[in-house]
Amino acid sequence: MEIKLNGQEYEAYPGESILDLCRREKVPLPTLCYHQAFGGQGVCRMCMVEVAEPGQKEARLVAACTYPLNTSVEINTESERIKRIRKTIIMLLARRANDHPLLEKLADDYGAPRLSEIIVQPPDCILCGLCVHACEEMGKSAIWSMFRGIDKRIATPYDEASEDCIGCAACARICPTQAISYSEKGSVRTIWNKDFALAACMRCGKYYATQEELLYLQEHGDYGQENLCESCRKKTLAINMKNFT
Amino acid sequence: MQIDLGEYEHTREYKNLIENYSSQPEYLLAMMQDVQKQYNYLPRLAISMIAEYMSMPVSRVYAVASFYKAFSLTPKGRYVFRVCDGTACHIKNSETLLDQLQQHLGIMAGETTPDGLFSVETVNCLGACALAPVMVVNGKVYAKVATGDVKKIIKEYGGQEHDS
Amino acid sequence: MTANLEQNDRQIVLVCCGTGCTANGAREVFQNFQTKLKDHPEIEVQPIIKATGCNGWCEKGPLVRMMPRDITYCSVAAKDVDEIVEKTLLNGVLIKRLLYRDPVSKQQLTTHHMTDFYRKQHKIALRNIGEIDPGEINDFIERGGYQALKKALQGMRPGELIDEIKASGLRGRGGGGFPTGRKWQACSEARGETKYIICNGDEGDPGAFMDRSILEGDPHTVIEGMILGAYAVGAAHGYIYVRDEYDLAVQYLGKALKDARKNGYLGNKILDSEFSFDIEIIRGGGAFVCGEETALIASIEGRIGEPRDKYVFPTEKGLWGKPTIINNVETWANIPVIIREGAEEFAAIGTEASKGTKVFSLVGKVVNTGLVEVPMGTTLREIIYEIGGGVLKKRAFKAVQTGGPSGGCIPAELLDLPVDFDSLTQAGSMMGSGGLIVMDDHTCMVEVARYYVNFLAEESCGKCTPCREGIRALLEILTNICRGQGRIEDLQLMEDICLTMQEASLCALGRTAPNPVLSTLRYFRDEYIEHIENQFCPAGVCRELTTFFIDPEKCTGCTLCIKYCSVDAITGEKKQVHVIDENTCIRCGECYRICTFDAIKLARREHYGN
Repeated sequence: MEIKLNGQEYEAYPGESILDLCRREKVPLPTLCYHQAFGGQGVCRMCMVEVAEPGQKEARLVAACTYPLNTSVEINTESERIKRIRKTIIMLLARRANDHPLLEKLADDYGAPRLSEIIVQPPDCILCGLCVHACEEMGKSAIWSMFRGIDKRIATPYDEASEDCIGCAACARICPTQAISYSEKGSVRTIWNKDFALAACMRCGKYYATQEELLYLQEHGDYGQENLCESCRKKTLAINMKNFT
Repeated sequence: MQIDLGEYEHTREYKNLIENYSSQPEYLLAMMQDVQKQYNYLPRLAISMIAEYMSMPVSRVYAVASFYKAFSLTPKGRYVFRVCDGTACHIKNSETLLDQLQQHLGIMAGETTPDGLFSVETVNCLGACALAPVMVVNGKVYAKVATGDVKKIIKEYGGQEHDS
Repeated sequence: MTANLEQNDRQIVLVCCGTGCTANGAREVFQNFQTKLKDHPEIEVQPIIKATGCNGWCEKGPLVRMMPRDITYCSVAAKDVDEIVEKTLLNGVLIKRLLYRDPVSKQQLTTHHMTDFYRKQHKIALRNIGEIDPGEINDFIERGGYQALKKALQGMRPGELIDEIKASGLRGRGGGGFPTGRKWQACSEARGETKYIICNGDEGDPGAFMDRSILEGDPHTVIEGMILGAYAVGAAHGYIYVRDEYDLAVQYLGKALKDARKNGYLGNKILDSEFSFDIEIIRGGGAFVCGEETALIASIEGRIGEPRDKYVFPTEKGLWGKPTIINNVETWANIPVIIREGAEEFAAIGTEASKGTKVFSLVGKVVNTGLVEVPMGTTLREIIYEIGGGVLKKRAFKAVQTGGPSGGCIPAELLDLPVDFDSLTQAGSMMGSGGLIVMDDHTCMVEVARYYVNFLAEESCGKCTPCREGIRALLEILTNICRGQGRIEDLQLMEDICLTMQEASLCALGRTAPNPVLSTLRYFRDEYIEHIENQFCPAGVCRELTTFFIDPEKCTGCTLCIKYCSVDAITGEKKQVHVIDENTCIRCGECYRICTFDAIKLARREHYGN
């Protein structure tokens, strides 16, 4: 159906979110907790936009990532009110991810004042929850958002090494502020208080995954017996294909 | 991972409490409340067993345990001193009662004495506002508690004054 | 709308066994009556639950009420029972010392119905509380219970029920104030075979206990309401979500459900109709945020109580993704009456946009604390002064806090505001679940704001940024101000953060969290400034900013303060001027509040922050 966005007309698919529409039509909309693998969460509230529904006099504020388009609405993504909201959210989040380039850039863009920093666990975490989703998507759910209110934080049960963690570091890679750290010393990767033996690539010898991760993938039948790192796997595949043709 | 062998003694009891309910998600809270009531906290092994029974990740069950105030992840004391911090009690000085408890027992709200005898907590409004300020110890309600009464109440449960 | 309890001469003794009276020994009184009256089977003894704190009587408990003469005795001790049986029950003689003495008129009254507190109320939701044994379904039936259900199942179509609720103008009593009829209509029209009914009994506002009283004192009215709702929208399953701390309510509800099933009001083919419905009790986990619909649903689904955006309502996609109605306890309690008596009678009470009555819990520094049910539109002044008896100890009225942590503080100049959904919202507060906390001049409004923000800091689910981080920042700032470390620019910063919280938070908890801060800034800004610029707390509450001293001109040497001081900081002989030792004094303020000669004064504390 037809909707108006910032004065221009667009076609929207019924049920899609405002953010889906913006992404498709290349209308810029800042987000911090969105990832296309998981859809909108409505957590960071950076994507708040003004929406005037048919028949309503006043526009209301909604989260673009979770608001479903089902009627011909009018949307504004760049009003003064919206910019003010973004500025305040950045001001508040920058306390948690103090000095992080991502938040620094946003703070500059929106003129967010600087407040005193707060120490959070893990450091720089903005509680976007993407790591929890990633771990859930991997099928392990070793971490979750624990506690509530101002004490809420991402952790493993008891803050101890989790039986469910396979050390794949999907959480660390998806984190927008690189809050989840892991170290690799020789053939050992340590993440979330747990040590993992790393497997070496058969072809180039580089450590590329934990043994637990490979075992898990094999158990789920997705992964062959080849112990190859990503680039070697691609090269091997290319050679095989060349040989095939 | 730490294993408390003591908990394994209770495996059968945990199993009984858990399997009292079907494994549908709507019984998660009830199951955890039963364990909490029996043991005064949620033992680690019980949490793992619940997770397995419900086909939920341990982290999710732990998240639920850490989210809701009804649950304690560490053992509570034999006597739990609960000070109501509802608004009516608050404006009738419940904070001073809390201070007195903290001073005499040597622990802060949310903590338990090292000997495992006493815990102190603030509790949300109990709805007995005409009796403000209210204190409850193991279900016994103390009404209109004056600052000076706290020492006496602690003595009732065998507590001595803490040398702080 | 209240029926008489008994039409014949059968004597009944009602002993209140609510939380308050039990704390004062009511169980022993009840047992003594049972023992003593074993030889008098013509006199019945019943345990009842009074709406706790009727007339402040919670503190005058244990209460014993005798029918049909409707005599009430206060502060009854177990040893008084013999005398009561001999003199009053068997010989009709009143025992004067046990009668209630009205604090305003100073009259001794035989029955609470003669007090202003009762005469000015209009009870619908609370109609049965204190009049019936909540464990006895026949008491409920005798007073018109389950008649609405019979009327509906035997003569009304579901659509007609919905029309009746719409015509009544009933709006949600939990705080949201959403038109109940419209909610039911939406659920009825939603697609799907499976639908759910939920009763929200997660009463979280500190100072509010109307839901607890209804669940404890009249569980069947909620059950009947839910059965009617289920019939109206086509639901087969219902849940009553009760706050974890309400043990007694869970107990009485359990019994009531059993009895309802036994009598054919719940279960398969209710009252020989084709309609089947049953209810389960779910105990909350202890989370204020679970009073929010979608958080409550998450809780029942075995997840943490995080709300979700409500662009699609629960009436379309609720519990397990199915159409669901969630209504508050008090809302459900009104339903049977509306169906039984008709919508018109209900709509004749209240104001244009707020029909019917509302139960308020009047607590704090007020003479008569307790539950008060009045028509919507009654003014704050009427409730606090005419029904409530005014401020305790005749101190100055400072503010009344309404709507719990989602509400705000209303100052004296707005006492003539009518209490309804819209007037209070315009004044910067809200009606919420009906909490009315009266505050006197010994209350620090900055500290009240800090208290509520501190409450929300623990109760917020923590999911969304504006609420979690906004509350964190507000708490830091307010705590600093109360410690004398505030800065004047922080006031503007708080207002900016509050605005974003109102606009961008994911749920109503975050959107209304700023209310206590904004309302106190609006009406009591000078108190904030006093704390910041002069490091002084005019109410004598903020300990780092207060010191107490005794005015030698006013002190009469009565030793009352010495008796009350828990750290022995005051010295002095009888009839000699007393002195407070500043170093020992912990600034609890008890002496300040207890002195009847106004001899204890406040002063700015020179040294603080150690």
